[in-house]
Amino acid sequence: MKYKSQAVAKPYFIAAIGLFFGQILFGVVLGLQYVVGDFLFPEIPFNVARMVHTNLLIVWLLFGFMGSAYYLVPEESETELHSPGLALLMFWVFLVAGALTVLGYLLVPYATLAEMTGNGLLPTMGREFLEQPTITKLGIVVVALAFLFNIGMTILKGRKTVVSLVLLIGLVGLAVFFLFSFYNPDNLVKDKYYWWWVVHLWVEGVWELILGSILAFVLIKTTGVDREVIEKWLYVIIAMSLITGIIGTGHHYYWIGAPEYWQWWGSIFSAMEPIPFFMMTVFAFNMVNRRRRNHPNQAAVLWALGTAVMAFLGAGVWGFMHTLAPINYYTHGTQITAAHGHMAFYGAYVMIVITMISYAMPMLRGRNAANSGKSQVVEMWSFWLMTVSMVFITLFLTAAGVLQTYIQRYTDDPQPFMVVQDKIEIFYWMREIAGVVFLIGLILYAMSFFVGGAEPEEA
Amino acid sequence: MNSTDDTEYRYPIRPCTLVYVVLMALTVTTWLLGKTDMTGLNIALPVLAFALFKGLLIGDYYMGLKGVRGLWRWVIIIWLAVPGSMITWAFINAS
Amino acid sequence: MDAPGLKALAVKNNYPPGDLAIWIFILAELLVFAAFFAAYAFTRAHHVELFNTYQRTLDTNAAMINTLALITSSYFVMRAVAAIREDRVKLCVRWTVAAILMGVLFIAIKSGEYAHHYANGVNLRTNTFYMFYLSLTFFHYMHVLMGMIILGAVAIKANNGSYSAREHTGVETGASYWHMVDIVWLVLFPLVYIMR
Repeated sequence: MKYKSQAVAKPYFIAAIGLFFGQILFGVVLGLQYVVGDFLFPEIPFNVARMVHTNLLIVWLLFGFMGSAYYLVPEESETELHSPGLALLMFWVFLVAGALTVLGYLLVPYATLAEMTGNGLLPTMGREFLEQPTITKLGIVVVALAFLFNIGMTILKGRKTVVSLVLLIGLVGLAVFFLFSFYNPDNLVKDKYYWWWVVHLWVEGVWELILGSILAFVLIKTTGVDREVIEKWLYVIIAMSLITGIIGTGHHYYWIGAPEYWQWWGSIFSAMEPIPFFMMTVFAFNMVNRRRRNHPNQAAVLWALGTAVMAFLGAGVWGFMHTLAPINYYTHGTQITAAHGHMAFYGAYVMIVITMISYAMPMLRGRNAANSGKSQVVEMWSFWLMTVSMVFITLFLTAAGVLQTYIQRYTDDPQPFMVVQDKIEIFYWMREIAGVVFLIGLILYAMSFFVGGAEPEEA
Repeated sequence: MNSTDDTEYRYPIRPCTLVYVVLMALTVTTWLLGKTDMTGLNIALPVLAFALFKGLLIGDYYMGLKGVRGLWRWVIIIWLAVPGSMITWAFINAS
Repeated sequence: MDAPGLKALAVKNNYPPGDLAIWIFILAELLVFAAFFAAYAFTRAHHVELFNTYQRTLDTNAAMINTLALITSSYFVMRAVAAIREDRVKLCVRWTVAAILMGVLFIAIKSGEYAHHYANGVNLRTNTFYMFYLSLTFFHYMHVLMGMIILGAVAIKANNGSYSAREHTGVETGASYWHMVDIVWLVLFPLVYIMR
């Protein structure tokens, strides 16, 4: 660890893993509720569990992004972080706000939560993924601004690299687009139109810049390949992301009441959204092949390569499968969507945060470069368990979704929703089993931090 | 067109000027064909053929791909051939 | 075409001229346009009458002049590359500026066409033909603007003495992008304006 202030990343990473664990616990609950409808009812109804599951995902990924930035920016800028104190303060603010919000979801009826938090003054609650009370959203804005200020000042006073600048642009974009969560038009078409300015322009837009820059950083450090080569790849990849992703937003505008030309624009541009992910995969494998050294942290390299592959499969391939308007007409809102969503989020964003944690945590805990062999073996087991089980979750949901699409919509004699749900129940059970394996994988990941600590570092 | 004092570094301007003239001529021809009464494949196919040929000239001479080995040489050719075929097929099936 | 000078061209390279990164861009752009062209052709096959009818409202003369302008600008750009390969910097700048001016002509004429359509109440929602016509040409229009900015940067840098016969990758890079813009229009013009 070259700079003392990089240490502020550690609490962020610990919180990230902790909240990830919470997210998966609720995920397993949800999966069971699919097939045992009144499981934990009325204490934790399905919709509440879902809010907790999705909101925890976003929050822990944000903790992960912020921790990653606090770790890599001082190193890239070759100077200490502008204010470690501010970073730690914001950590606690964000953690407490997040915890209170989740407790609010769990302990209090949603309408009461809205009343308690003064939603009436500036209504922002009630939309998927954006269920947070307005005051929480305002808190997020404050935390984000402080974070951007801290990172920005650090980059300003130090060396400006392509990696840190791309990361900064991505993070600024994240903050800017989050502001659209405050815009709540009465018109339902406009409501949905702008909702995607948060969600799509995050995960199929500025978050790809964050993903690319963190991946580039880890590859620079672990392969020793020339910075210029990696940075040139990064430029091309993010350019492709933005070119395809911005107008590609149109693939969410097919059926919401927007003008029909979106069906063309959305289809043509979003069909190309896999390209940057394909390039990222070629990029990652190419850099590792051209490596000039065998970095002792082989677990981190495994996570990095895995990220590229899973992101391409989950976001790129599975996304492509249902992105064209004529297909989406039938598959919209089915289990195909769930299949894509899970693998995409896991492959792209969960894995890149874990990649960074895997790379940085050993050094944050006093190692030179990597954990012991024993620890890395446990970690690699967790990689395979989580990744393979996620593939199975996706496959099972895809099967469910294809059947659902066919029987409920495509066939000459479409069946009602609940009739179809009964027919695809077997896939939900199989998904749940895979989900439990995923949880085991995650537990192993956490355990990897506690085994092999006394052993010598891997050479 | 035949220059006897061409050094190794003299860029062949004259052939490419010839290419320029060909491109302009094909364009004017296309425009003139558009002015006639012809419809359907009688006009669509020749006009498309001219367009693809023009594209080939640009790729080979202007973009300098004639002197490039391997797949890069074929990039423009594939880009002309594949959509060109699709367009041809669509027009044939439309009439 | 077998002039001796052509042999200089025949030096076999592994890569096309200019920065490799721009060629990745060019591939991506070509892919988008190809998809659009194919979508146009296939949609037309289902709406032949509609497409034929409204195609007749287009200004083919303006489009032809635009085609000649772009071809000419590509020729100028090629002369610019030739000039810098002979270390003739000032000549390179002049050819590049001339190419940009041809681009200005294109933009002016196309803008005139758009103004005419707009005055007649034509927009993206009018019908499927106009949706394709406006989308395709506008998307291309934006690329012409982008190309002009790139050529502008090349001209400025050339004027500042940044390029020479030994090192002029930037000029070739800008030229390659511009040729892409030209080649796309060479398919777009006949496809949308003429083929019926």
